Order: sequence, then C-alpha cells, then structure tokens
Amino acid sequence: MLATYAPLVGLFVLAAGFALFSVTAAPFIGPRRYNSAKLEAYECGIEPVDQPLSGGRFPIKYYLTAMLFIVFDIEIVFLYPWAVANDQLGVFGLVEMVVFIATVFIAYAYVWRRGGLEWD
Amino acid sequence: MNDSPTLADFGQDVWWLVLIKIVGVFALLVVMTLFAIVFERKVVARMQQRSGPNRVGPRGYLQSLADGLKLAFKEDIMPALADRPVYFLAPVIATIPAFLAFSVIPLGPEVSILGQRTPLQLIDAPIGVLVVLACSAMGVYGIVLGGWASGSTYPLLGSLRSAAQMVSYEIAMGLSIVAVFLYAGTMSTSGIVAAQAGDNRLDFFGLQFDGPSWYAVLLPVSFIIYVIAVVGETNRAPFDLPEAESELVGGFHTEYSSLKFALFFLAEYVNMVTVSALAATLFLGGWRAPWPISIWDGANSGWWPLLWFLLKVVAALFVFIWLRGTLPRLRYDQFMRFGWKVLVPTALVWILAVATMRTVSREADLSSGEVAVYVGLPIAAVVLAVLLVASRKSNEPTRIAAVAAAAGSTNPTEPEVLPPVRTGGARHRPAQRSGPARAEGGFPVPPMDLVVPPSPRLASKEPVAAGAPVASGRRRPSPTPRKDSDDA
Amino acid sequence: MGGIEIGTAETVVFWVLGPIALAGALGMVLARNAVHSALFLVNTMLALGVFYVVQEAPFLGAVQIIVYTGAIMILFLFVLMLVGRDSSDSVVETLRGQRVAATVLGIGFAGLVGAGIARATEGMVVTGLEGVQGGEGGAADGNIEAIAGLLFTRYLLAFEVTSALLITAAVGAMVLAHIEREPGSRLTQKERSRARFLTSDHPQTLPGPGVYARANSIAAPGRLPDGSPAEASYATGVEPQVVEELPPGDPAGDGRDPGAGRGHGPDAALGTTRGVTR
Repeated sequence: MLATYAPLVGLFVLAAGFALFSVTAAPFIGPRRYNSAKLEAYECGIEPVDQPLSGGRFPIKYYLTAMLFIVFDIEIVFLYPWAVANDQLGVFGLVEMVVFIATVFIAYAYVWRRGGLEWD
Repeated sequence: MNDSPTLADFGQDVWWLVLIKIVGVFALLVVMTLFAIVFERKVVARMQQRSGPNRVGPRGYLQSLADGLKLAFKEDIMPALADRPVYFLAPVIATIPAFLAFSVIPLGPEVSILGQRTPLQLIDAPIGVLVVLACSAMGVYGIVLGGWASGSTYPLLGSLRSAAQMVSYEIAMGLSIVAVFLYAGTMSTSGIVAAQAGDNRLDFFGLQFDGPSWYAVLLPVSFIIYVIAVVGETNRAPFDLPEAESELVGGFHTEYSSLKFALFFLAEYVNMVTVSALAATLFLGGWRAPWPISIWDGANSGWWPLLWFLLKVVAALFVFIWLRGTLPRLRYDQFMRFGWKVLVPTALVWILAVATMRTVSREADLSSGEVAVYVGLPIAAVVLAVLLVASRKSNEPTRIAAVAAAAGSTNPTEPEVLPPVRTGGARHRPAQRSGPARAEGGFPVPPMDLVVPPSPRLASKEPVAAGAPVASGRRRPSPTPRKDSDDA
Repeated sequence: MGGIEIGTAETVVFWVLGPIALAGALGMVLARNAVHSALFLVNTMLALGVFYVVQEAPFLGAVQIIVYTGAIMILFLFVLMLVGRDSSDSVVETLRGQRVAATVLGIGFAGLVGAGIARATEGMVVTGLEGVQGGEGGAADGNIEAIAGLLFTRYLLAFEVTSALLITAAVGAMVLAHIEREPGSRLTQKERSRARFLTSDHPQTLPGPGVYARANSIAAPGRLPDGSPAEASYATGVEPQVVEELPPGDPAGDGRDPGAGRGHGPDAALGTTRGVTR
C-alpha cells in the first residue's frame, strides 16, 4: 500500500531540496551591495506607505469568497465518490445527488440574489 | 492494449528504477519550463510581428536557460519590512506542490527500462487526480504567503487577488472533471487513459458508427470549462489580474528577486505544464496516439506514446500562449462574475445532465442515440430556454438603448451614466491632437486612416500606405559605411 | 477478525510525522504572530492528511488536504490578513500565576486523556481496510467505491443534512460579511469604465514620462515618434523641462531630423524608423 506512494516522497525530497538550496544559496551567489532604498517597499518610486504593517484594511469581500469556496469544495468532495461509483448507485444515487445539489443551490441562489457575487 | 498499466502495476518497482523515474520527472518538468518560456516568447513575438529571442544558443532556444542562470547572480534582497521566515519559505512552498502534482500524470504505457517492465508514470493511486487538486490547493499558500510576507502594498493586494481568483476557478475546475470520473468510473489517471482507448461505438437508431472516445469530444462542456478554469487557476492572461503590470507591478512577487523570484517563475510554468498534461490525460486521450497515427499498430507501445503525449502538452501550452497573445485582460468584476455566475452553474447543470443521461441509458437499456433524443434534447431545450429568458431579462437596458438608438437618438446611454470623472489632480490632459478617437455612442475606434508598418518578414520593405511615416524596423543606412555600427 | 501486522514503513512514517504534527500543534499555540500560528496549523493538517493515507484511507487523506488545508486554512489566512499583520498576541498576564496554572493543568489533562485513550485502545487488533469495509478485489481498488456505497446508502441522512449545514455556512457568511449597498450609491467598475470611455478622449492610461533610456528625470516628457515631446506625458505638478539627455549616439544627422532642435530624435542612437528610402 505504502509502496504506491513512496515515489511521491522521493519527488518531495528532491523538489524540497532543490527549492531550499535555491533560496539558501541566493544570498551567497549574488552580489551584496547595501542600499537602504533597496530595502524599502517598492511603490513605483513614490514614498512607500507602511500600510500592511499597521494593519491595512482589505475588502471583507475576500472572506465571502473564501467561505463560498469552502461550501463548493465540500460539495465537490461529495461529488467525486458519487461520480466514481455512479454505476453501482443507480437511480437512487442520482435522485439523492439531485436533492443535495438542489439544496446547496438554494444557498448559492441566496448569495447571488443578495448580491454576494458582485464585485465593485 | 495489454501495455496499458493497471493500478496493480504500481508500487512494484525496484528502488533504482524509482530513483530514475523521480529524477526523470523532475528533469522533464525543468526542461519543459525552460522550453515553455522560450516557446512563449517566440510565439508571442511571431504573433506581434517581431523576431523574439534569437541570440543565445541555436535560434535563441537557450535564452531562458541564460535568464535563469543570470537570475542566480542577481542580488537577493530581503525587504526591511518583510516577515523573514515566511518570506524565505514562500517560494519553497510554491515550488514543491507544483512538482508533486505532475507525479500522477501518465507519460506512456509499460516500457522496459534496463530490463525492467514498468509503467511510464511515477505513481498512480485510486485517488490519482485528487493528488493534483491537493497540490493546486497547496500552491495557493506560496502565493498568499509570498505577498503577505513582503510587507509591501502591491504584493499584498496582488496575493489577495490571486488567492481569491485561484480558489474561485478551482471550484470550476473541480466541477468540470466530475463528468470525466462519471464516465471513466475511476479517479486513477492511468484508468482514465485506458477508458479513452479504442473507439466509441455509437448507435443512432440502428445506424452504427464509431466515434472518437476522447472525453474532449464526449464531454465538450466539461472540456471547455476545464480549459477556461485552468487559465484562471494558473493566473495566465487574460486572467492575469494578480500581476496586472499596469496596476500592481508584478503582483505577489514584486519584492522578490534573484533565485527566490526564479522559483516563483518556475512554479508558475510548472503549473502550466501540469494542467496542460492533465488536460491531455483527462480529455485528449492521454499518451494514446491521435487518430491518423493510431492506425499504425505500434503507435501505442514502446516509447512512442511519450512523443504523442509531449506533443499534446505542447499543443495545450500553445493554446495558453495563443490566449495571451490575443485577448486583453479582463476587469476584476467581470472576471469574478464569470467564474461564479457562469462557470459554476453551467458545470453543475452539465454534471446533472450527464448523470441523468447515463443513468437513464443504463436503467432503461437504451442505445446512445435514443438517450440523446429522449433525454439529451429535452434537457438541452430546458437549459436553452432558461438561458434565453435570463439573457433577455439581463440585457433589457441594452435592448431599450438599441431601440432608442435606432429611433434616432445619437447617444442613448450618455445621460444616465455621466458622473463627473475626476481627472488626476493637476494633471494636464491635452485634447487628443489627431485621429477620430471615438465613434458615435462612446467607444473609441481606431483611426480609419491608420498606417500600418509592413512586416519585417515580408520581402517588400515598402510601407503599406503611401506617405507612411514609418517604414520598417531596419536601421537607417549611414551615409558612409561604418564597420562598427551594427552590433548589439 | 484476523489482525494484520503493521508494516515497517507505516511505523517509520508514524514516528517521523508524529513529532512533526505535534510540533505544528505546539507551534500554533505558542507562536506570537497570528499568521505563523495558522501556518503551524497547516503543517499539522498536512501531517494528518498523510496519516490518513498511511492508514489505507487515501480518499480521506486527499479530502483532508483539499478541504482542510486547502480551503479552510485559506479562509483563516484571509481573515488574519483582513485584520492586519500586527494582531499579535498580547503577552501581558492579566491573572497572576495564570501561566503556571495553565501549564500544570494542561499537562495533567493531557495525561488524563492520553491514559484514557491508551487504556481504551490497548490490545486492539489491527484489521486493515478489508476488515472494516469488507472490500473484495484488493483494498487499494475499493476505497472510494466503498465510501460511496456507505455514504449514499447507510449514511444518507447525514449526507443530505450536510447540505443544510452548507446553506447555514453561506447564509452566515452573507449576514456577517455582506455590505448591502443602495443601488447607485457607489460606482461599480463597469460604470466607471463606461464613464471613462464616454467622457474622456483618452480612456486608457496616459503615456509615462520619458525617464526610460534617455533621461533620468520624470520632468522629461515622453517623446512621440517624430521626436517632439508628448504633452500627455507631462508629470503632475512638475514643470516640463528639457533635461540633459544621454548622448544620442552617432550624430549622423543629415538635416532631415525633425527633432533636430532638441538634439537628435530619440531614435537616432538606435537607428531611426523614419524616412528610410532605399
């Protein structure tokens, strides 16, 4: 059983080794010429504002997107075994999945109607 | 056909064979990345009537390798406001899942490597495709963390946008492949390739003919949704809003430099290669030869399938590049609306339609033609009717405006949307000097007397229109011949 | 109920990943920075996903990674970023001796729970996947089908009720996070874009100043192809001026250069694109 996934571990080790080596080696390979302007946040030449540090506020919209993502992700996770085993489940399986999708669709329609999917 | 590996064939390799495969997959991805970058630059250049990179290596094909090496010798900057450990780890977190995702892609049938029979695929499992999904879910972290840890405004905004975009389109992508699982009855990638083997016997009221069995043909809606979704998922044009250069500089990796930046770049292209390979596997028959070649008996055995597979991947990459060369970037609200309001419901309805057709044909023992007529057509009719009503309703203002315009109103939309536009402070905006910039009704059109410079590739160096101000990309010939003028 | 041996590989994975998962959990509690805490939690979630795979439940493992690490932790990160990065924990003790008491009680509680679990699981026989699901034809093939078979028949109610839970989640998120706007109170991107096209002669971004390649100042205007300054590129609040430019290359001027008044045209050094006759 585990032998199936063993190569994945090998690839993980190789990729991780490569990536870690790259990020660690970068400061040593490249030149180092100190300049305080280089260390500032890049804002196209104007004086940088330290917004992210002092807790810049961002649209709460992103929260809603993430929440909807979870809702649909869970729906997808249920769809996968259903799709794979569709031939065994028969008509009953189809009916219950229709009921399930319809119920989740209520949530979707609600969010849509309230304007939760609009970006401005 | 007996070359087709099954799940039981995996996990049997000796250790050195596993090592060879691991290094092979890694090397393949790195080479494909280097190739894809040059390929992209060359194709886009050709689409824009330029030459593209043509200096390093044969015909410029080593340009991306040179660029990658150059990046290693650039200064590595750690911004003062950066969150050091996370800033350091973010490129690593972005890179690892990108590589891991490719491990389940079948590159070919069982081949013989140094006397050992083995499938040309690193791993396969009953959950096959889910490995790719899990990796793409992890890839979001690299981007979110990279943007956040930079301690700068543009990267933070870019990473938030990027993450929101990736999760939105991940839904559409996840839904689009459900129908494939439904048809194949498995989630293992080698099983899905095997399910697309052979011809698909169609029976249309006694009329029998062989159709292709690629899921791109059998499940066209799924395929289209998948293609759109992965373009959004990989943040490529026209959905490259997270790094919209004119708005956010480089997006989440604005502050990154040197090899850390190179890793982000690598991850992006590896992801592109992986989703292309997944498209080939799920929808385009995997490593199996396409039709005219598949007549040849040996096409699906030995090492040949690796070639067919790579050709399919390159074709998919070309579509990515083609899109970039053709389409303008979307506005963010259009983009999110498209993902959530078009792709997701379409995918859900399509899944139910496919499942219904399949269940009916299985239970009632109908032929494929009868199912299409008795089940597919009614479903299609209902869907079309709903869409028609919905689109008429949502386009009502436009239709009214169009009617008003036809009745003689020159600029029907202008009065209702004319809020005062704030021009940028004291900026002086001179009126456009030349060219009819706008059509009646608002939107600008290119000037009708536009003079286009001739293609530098064409033999004729004559300008297209008489009196053209621009002749060609050629240098002005010096009055006296000089020998040091034409380098660089 | 015949037991099966736990393989060496499984044992190794357990002893390697167990400490990592535990370290993630501890780090999540101890890290001062909220985002670091979330990352430690991601680490633990990932390790748990691998544990599921090791225990012959690959589907569950994949779902754990996709849903928990992929979706739910991303939500956490979003929320933490919305709040801002400086939302670190306060290290001030409000109750005296609280820290010591918490440590002692925590260790005691862990011991209690651990002992209870150890007693309950002592002497349990490992049956493997087939013992649980009764799958035939190899456990590796049947995991997903077996889950589907159970989920959509025996646990049907739980499955359907999940959809109600999802509705609750969506509605809750809307109530918490959605800001109802009066239609027309704020311009949408679409309206802005339309307005820009309808009212301005120049709907796209204005050309930048001529800092690239030629001058090192934003006061230098960009140049049009004929060498004259592009008025639209004048910078805000800066008086446009002719600045000293880099040498224009070979002065092969033959009097035909329209930009001759300001030295040579911007393209003189690069070779011009103008007026080639051959």
